[in-house]
Amino acid sequence: MNSLVSGLSNGPMLRAMAALIVLVNGCFPALWILATAFKSEVELTAKPITYWPTNPSWDNFVTAFRDQPLPVYLFNSVVVALGSMLLSLFLSALAAYAIARLNLRRRGLILACIVAVSMFPLVTLMVPLFEIMRSLSLLNSYWALILPYTVLNLPICTLVLVSFFQEIPRDLENAAMIDGCTRLGALWRVVVPLSAPGLFTAGILAFVNAWDEFLLALSFNSATAWRTLPVGIQMYQGEFSFPWPTISAALVIAMVPVVIVILIFQERVVGGLTSGGIKG
Amino acid sequence: MPQPTNRSLVDRLSDPSERTLAIWLLAPAFTFITLIVVYPVLVLAWNSLQDARLLTGQPARFSGLENYVFLINDAQFWRAAKNTLIIVAVTVPGALVVGLGLAMLANTAMRWKGPVRLALLLPWAMPLAFVGLIFAWFFHSDYGIVNDVLKRLGLAPVIWSASASLTLAAVCLATIWKTSSFMALILLAGLQTIPRSLYEAAEVDGASKWTQFTQITLPLLVPSMLVALIFRTLTAIQSFDIPYSMPGPGEDTQTLAMYIHMNAVDYLDLGYSSALAVVMFGISMLTTWVYMRHIRREGGT
Repeated sequence: MNSLVSGLSNGPMLRAMAALIVLVNGCFPALWILATAFKSEVELTAKPITYWPTNPSWDNFVTAFRDQPLPVYLFNSVVVALGSMLLSLFLSALAAYAIARLNLRRRGLILACIVAVSMFPLVTLMVPLFEIMRSLSLLNSYWALILPYTVLNLPICTLVLVSFFQEIPRDLENAAMIDGCTRLGALWRVVVPLSAPGLFTAGILAFVNAWDEFLLALSFNSATAWRTLPVGIQMYQGEFSFPWPTISAALVIAMVPVVIVILIFQERVVGGLTSGGIKG
Repeated sequence: MPQPTNRSLVDRLSDPSERTLAIWLLAPAFTFITLIVVYPVLVLAWNSLQDARLLTGQPARFSGLENYVFLINDAQFWRAAKNTLIIVAVTVPGALVVGLGLAMLANTAMRWKGPVRLALLLPWAMPLAFVGLIFAWFFHSDYGIVNDVLKRLGLAPVIWSASASLTLAAVCLATIWKTSSFMALILLAGLQTIPRSLYEAAEVDGASKWTQFTQITLPLLVPSMLVALIFRTLTAIQSFDIPYSMPGPGEDTQTLAMYIHMNAVDYLDLGYSSALAVVMFGISMLTTWVYMRHIRREGGT
């Protein structure tokens, strides 16, 4: 008791409590879904409800793959997220280099124009884009999602890359140009390799944003073969049935790639989010 | 903000094509923005003045402000607007308060930096649509953990999906959970830039912890709060994924974004959904303007 009181007054207890609250708040829903994924339908409807699977089994994961083409959804999500990530990195790297390095008037205004894109309500864009994609027969295709996601990620990617490009010593680039590189050559050989961490950070943010997007994916790519994960996972529910264990198993599978990405790159992700500052 | 270049005059003269190069580098990004954002917004404004119901099979015809007149008298629009307003009014301050709490907790728990940061990143990285599904399961009347906890506390279980207000309450809770972590990450970065010496000086002056919080922490956090709040408000106005995944009774908990989606994608009524989207656009721009004005005033003092 004595040690408890002194621990509290010294702070380590308090600090541990603080850490615990943050951990439980952040991880509980994911852990609950993980536990549910291993419960049977019978156990799920038991009363009172169980907190830990009494008879864990992999059946729900088998059902999740059987009831819906989960690999197709996964593949579509990866193609769309990677495609739009690469495209917006390319576009924003060029733009950010011009803004950060070249002799340019009104660079602040130019950057503001790009950032302003993130102020546009996505729902508003959805309506005309739906019609445009429809008339171009682009509904139910990868481009229907890759093109808008690319533009939606331009602001955050450009912000992150501008701040990275500004950090690279100008002398290095000048040295490369003295050695006979063109400006584009210097961009490719000196600036790009040195800003790899920045490209990485921007890339992860763009990837996660595209991976998470739901409204456009639901509106544009509704055919089974073109659904992304967030849309596909909604399809397990019937009109009257809600197969929770199966949905939970599917959610676990869908979450794994993103959890791995943030586990490995958490420092970069946090740095990028708080430097570029925005968009949740 | 980018700094002006320090290139010498000689340097600049030896590379006269620099501005041309800059334009070529900026062109691809701006072409994309023009095609995917600017042009569609113009199409949207034009469509909102048309009677374009694709399901009727008739060609679109110019109808002036008819869609907007219909909108003003549309009870379903006003219900959706009310639901959206409730979500904004509850989840924006909610996410700020919870986010600030999480940021302060995380700041005290810096010894466990890795796990704490991961716990803040997880909700951010989880798709909104998944959060909606998971919280719908939490609030399930029979098998949900919320009712189980209520029963264990000796309270009566609640049928959350039975009424619009209860469903909206659940939607707001899910939204606050999802968005407060991101808020906490931004505020945590802000907290860590506050110099310790300020607190030490306050300590010497005998200021209480509460005074330190209201006189040092809060004022210095305002800039990071405002940036986070603009984006939180703009995304709250567009709430779609979570309320869509947590349906209440009928369409009683429909948000503006859900109503626009229904008119555009399900009814293929391009005219009316465009008018609704224009209204949404106006609300968003107005919100941005109000914040920007506030930020400028803050900056001036």
